[in-house]
Amino acid sequence: MKAFAYVNPANEKEAVAALRDAGVAMPIGGGQDILARMKDYITAPDRLVNIKNALDATITPVAGGLRIGAAVKIVDLAENAQVSRLYPNISAAAIEVGTPQIRNQGTVGGNINQRPRCWYFKNEEFLCYKKGGNRCFAPAGENQYHAIFGNDGPSHIVHPSSLAVPFLAYGAKFRVVSASGEREVAAANFFTLPTLQNVLKENVLADDELLTHVILPAPGTARHGHYEVRYKESHDWPLAFATVILKMSGQTISSASVVLGAVAPIPWRSEEAERALVGKTLSEATAAAAGEAAVRGAAPLSRNGYKVQVTKTAVKRAVMRAAGLRTV
Amino acid sequence: MASKDEKPDKPERFSVSRRDFLKSAGVTGIAAGVVGGAAELDAQTGAAARVLGPGDVPVQLTVNGRRIDLRIEPRVTLLDAMRQRADLTGNKRVCDRGTCGACTMIVDGRSVYSCSTLAIEVQGKQVRTVEGLVSANGTMHPVQQAFCDQDAMMCGFCTPGFVMATVALLEKNRNPTEAQVRKGLDGNICRCGTFVRVLEAAMKSRGVARA
Amino acid sequence: MPNFDQQPPAGGGAPTPQGRGGAPGGAPPAGGRGAAPAGGAAPQGRGAAPPAPPSALALKYPWPAKPVLLGTRVKRIDGPDKVTGRAKYTHDINRPGMLYGRIIRSPLPHARIVSIDLSAALKAPGVKAAYNVKEPGAQVMYQGDTVAAVAADTEERTKDAARLVKVEYEALPHFANEEQAMDPDAPVVFMGGNTRPGTAQDVGDIEAGFKQSAHIIEATYYTHVITHVCLESHSIVAEWEGDKLTAWCSTQGVFPSQQGLAMGLGIPAANVRVITQYMGGGFGSKLQAGAEAVIGAKLSQMAKLPVKLTLDRKEEHLDTGNRPSAGAKVKAGVTADGTLTSYQADSWGTGGAGQGVGNLPIPYIYTFPNRKRTHKDVYINSGTQRPMRAPGHPQACFLTEVLMDELADRVKMDPVEFRIKNAPVQVPSAMYRTYLPEGAKLFGWDKRHATGDPTPGPIKTGFGVSVHTWGGGGSGTQAHCDIMADGTVVMKCGTQDIGTGTRTIVALVTAETLGLPITAVRAEIGDTNYPRSGGSGGSTTAPSAMPAIRLTAAKALEALFVKVAPTLGVSADTLVATNGRIHVKDDPTKGVTWKDACKTLGADTISVDHMWEAGLSSVNSSGAQFTEVAVDIETGIVKVKRILAIQDCGLVVDRLTCESQIYGGVISSMNFALYEDRILDRVTGQMVNPNMEMYLLAGMSDIPKIDIILKDMPERGVVGVGEPPTVSLSAAIANAVRNATGAAIRSLPLHPHKILAAIEQQKAGGTL
Repeated sequence: MKAFAYVNPANEKEAVAALRDAGVAMPIGGGQDILARMKDYITAPDRLVNIKNALDATITPVAGGLRIGAAVKIVDLAENAQVSRLYPNISAAAIEVGTPQIRNQGTVGGNINQRPRCWYFKNEEFLCYKKGGNRCFAPAGENQYHAIFGNDGPSHIVHPSSLAVPFLAYGAKFRVVSASGEREVAAANFFTLPTLQNVLKENVLADDELLTHVILPAPGTARHGHYEVRYKESHDWPLAFATVILKMSGQTISSASVVLGAVAPIPWRSEEAERALVGKTLSEATAAAAGEAAVRGAAPLSRNGYKVQVTKTAVKRAVMRAAGLRTV
Repeated sequence: MASKDEKPDKPERFSVSRRDFLKSAGVTGIAAGVVGGAAELDAQTGAAARVLGPGDVPVQLTVNGRRIDLRIEPRVTLLDAMRQRADLTGNKRVCDRGTCGACTMIVDGRSVYSCSTLAIEVQGKQVRTVEGLVSANGTMHPVQQAFCDQDAMMCGFCTPGFVMATVALLEKNRNPTEAQVRKGLDGNICRCGTFVRVLEAAMKSRGVARA
Repeated sequence: MPNFDQQPPAGGGAPTPQGRGGAPGGAPPAGGRGAAPAGGAAPQGRGAAPPAPPSALALKYPWPAKPVLLGTRVKRIDGPDKVTGRAKYTHDINRPGMLYGRIIRSPLPHARIVSIDLSAALKAPGVKAAYNVKEPGAQVMYQGDTVAAVAADTEERTKDAARLVKVEYEALPHFANEEQAMDPDAPVVFMGGNTRPGTAQDVGDIEAGFKQSAHIIEATYYTHVITHVCLESHSIVAEWEGDKLTAWCSTQGVFPSQQGLAMGLGIPAANVRVITQYMGGGFGSKLQAGAEAVIGAKLSQMAKLPVKLTLDRKEEHLDTGNRPSAGAKVKAGVTADGTLTSYQADSWGTGGAGQGVGNLPIPYIYTFPNRKRTHKDVYINSGTQRPMRAPGHPQACFLTEVLMDELADRVKMDPVEFRIKNAPVQVPSAMYRTYLPEGAKLFGWDKRHATGDPTPGPIKTGFGVSVHTWGGGGSGTQAHCDIMADGTVVMKCGTQDIGTGTRTIVALVTAETLGLPITAVRAEIGDTNYPRSGGSGGSTTAPSAMPAIRLTAAKALEALFVKVAPTLGVSADTLVATNGRIHVKDDPTKGVTWKDACKTLGADTISVDHMWEAGLSSVNSSGAQFTEVAVDIETGIVKVKRILAIQDCGLVVDRLTCESQIYGGVISSMNFALYEDRILDRVTGQMVNPNMEMYLLAGMSDIPKIDIILKDMPERGVVGVGEPPTVSLSAAIANAVRNATGAAIRSLPLHPHKILAAIEQQKAGGTL
């Protein structure tokens, strides 16, 4: 790890100021992702700006929804009663993040903004697009955990955030501040598919901007289902997962939100699955049809075709959970 | 979040003389045993967004109820600060990337990977290492005793981390179910394969009051 | 040159016969049938040598028929040190003025070093030493191969300085896997060829056997490369005093490390003291002093200060050994009544750069009267193999035991029945004919369904079984016992405790022999200043050390009897020591307490050296493992639900630590089957998962219920148990997956992609 200077600002204003007036300055939340990258010389900031004291660490009711500070620890999100009552898929995702230690230390903001787990990105030897190189090693290499959607390139990572997926599904907005002011970005517009121009990042956040809050609208009456497929049951990254929110009109699904995780460079909204659900009644057959629809547009790489089946299953079982049906 | 000016109850000065390696000229942080007053520290960790480092800076920690003053670079992890500058070598460095749990310490009541925590960031917090579990009269913590009774160890290198994770789990939930114990210990890896007996030890420790 | 094929003759041979792989630059002999381990060899008259007769002293001091401590559950005596963090491992040794060392390693899998520039590193803050481990012009043969080394006053500064070493490489062609290396059009990367033929075998009449066969299976089986992942990385703390070196090493063998350091440094072995009080896992990868030990010692010599050199996790994966791959294209036959006929295999395997798979005892255990084999060691540009928990056996077991289930299906026999029918008739200690029915009964094997779980729904369950064998044994250990006038007993032995509980059983056997509680004995081990013992590998430690401890303690006690006898007015040979007293055998009232007995020593200390003798330990251990798995056929995820491990372990010394080893072996085998995989990028040859996040290992939630049945056989004396239980579960899991899904599973690991593909293939008509 390269030596760096450390700043511990007390508020948002000081934090964004501290991010500006240095060579390469980066925020540190829980720090588990960035410190690992720094130890591996993937990231080498001149300055780390601690944002844990500067940013909000509370969960506050607002307009029938919730406003979640970026400095909230994942464990506190996972165990928050209001969150689990209003947004059960967020609780379900949060409790599966990493390990107890990771949840104790990791923050909501850090989870959203963590960098890819792609093993080419995470190893110094592979000078890939995301490290300023001119290739992605996945298509010709070991791509069993890479994307099956959004695979136009140039990068084939899957987005690492578990929380981003239900945040997007619940229509969250992210509050973002910089020295020049603040803005709100819908989660749906926050994450970016890679292009040669933006491939160094996974979202629209500028270097001197900080994500300060996740603002969740009132959820209304809905059915919720979340399903993660993991190779190991203990600490592991899901092979694929799905979060499903269904609004009902009597016995019929009137609207559906289906977002997939670990399958694309961004949290992947499946409009195909949503269309397959709307107007149908809750049943295993409906769930299976949604699963089939979800993967119709999949474009796997050479070694991750199995993720199509895994994703199909995740969607089906998330819908079944929303329907209150037994999954396995 | 713990407030930064929180002081430990009756901080006990770290005894340098007990640890002869600390006299070593080669280890930068050692001189710290005698520098870094409280006023200076408050100035650094207070509201002002002062830039610290990248060279050595005074860092004052409260570890197992005792105050430890160090001069270290901001990049030094809590684990390395303890192992290399304070001779608290009970917690181990194994993966050094926040995966295996051998470095698990308890900070303000919660288990954390100390390899993935900067020492400078736990100032003002209560840090507990595995050494801190033994009571003043030398009695082991009930969790430690249970690990011995069940033979919940082989080579022992993961053991301090498992012990700390178990203590943190039981302090949070005195009577967890087996499923909760399993999930609560999923952040630790043993290579010898002691899991069966670690689970037994953790289950036997349920509901046991802190020694 | 390591020879994996040789098993120790009973009561003789080297202390670590299986253990000493990894000789740089030389591939171990390939392909030969194991002698004792492949139990199937015995009927052909190639079994282990008959046990040496017990020595006179062993006959005088046999293991007690009614032991007090032996075989009971004795808590690990160093448990409190381990759970409190007081135990000092090599990683934990901090010396005054100590520097931190680091090795600069090749990022490329194969290259010529054009230049190495240390100048910037030498000028960096805190740097006290740096040198070229290899010189320009030399080749690096794998990612992680050593190039240079540096030491500085803090670890952070050492890492900074290491980044400043400028190395220019000329990339050379490389192989990332066996297919690339075996390609006939591949360039010659390894001098003498990219592959090397192993020992061929042709026994019986292979074609006649196939003609008798009602069914023939032709298929390819494969096991992958995994790494040891010792939690304490390979490490040394080196400190010189003049021309004498003290080295705290994380090693499985203080004496082999002493030799390795002496050789590597060009100094007399007598000038090297190696200390290993606690060791954080080795699994075969720490049987010798590695490059890092010599480099750490050299840096210390150059800087004239102590140096600590601990490898990081990535270096561990890249350059501290691995379990070689093993593949075999097999043709095997069976008669209509389920009798094995012919086994033909063309096998291969890689142990990295210039190393093959070594011992691959296929067909494992079962009796094929006709056998024909070829073998090819394949060299690729990866770190080199080292022995890993029963070298060759997990691979051979998988390659054979999966085939066995497929053959059983062809003849519509139950897999247990089929195994019993074809198990060797008489193999020392291989009690398959009793273990298998006993295990089947305990496990509820009668509830096993035929291949393919008919239950509706995505979760399919299945049962699997597999058996294993191992040689073990050991000899040569020496020990020293002091009995002091104040009653103190110290047993010294230069063995080491790699986590198996050696320190505890040294104390236990001493205490048992002297009739004392275990707390009355101090066991001092892990130091070349103590009497010689071998490396802890090959499951040899207990069978090699325990007889030495027993006899040394017995000799010391004899000497004490001689002192005490006159005070009791009896002859020394009438005395016994039990329950903290020395008394006349037939008259317990006529005696003295241990303390009073020792007072007769006055200013003397009883100080006795003795060593291993035949008669108290033996070779060969075997077992059977059963498992039930659940396979989610919609995701390909396999969960192991429960395991039954039946293990022969001769005389149980400490039941508690013995069981722990079996639990551990079983879990290790589960990791091999399901999770672990060293993955090299097929294009660049560089490892993509050199960490503990993407190199998967089971955690608490993945651990199933495990039941152990220990087969006590005190009459056989001590046999080692560290390795045998690691062998067979992986094959049993694969068999259970096949039983659940009906899909052919012929390679490891059982990653979801493989399970789903096998299920697809089976749906499409299958291969069975």
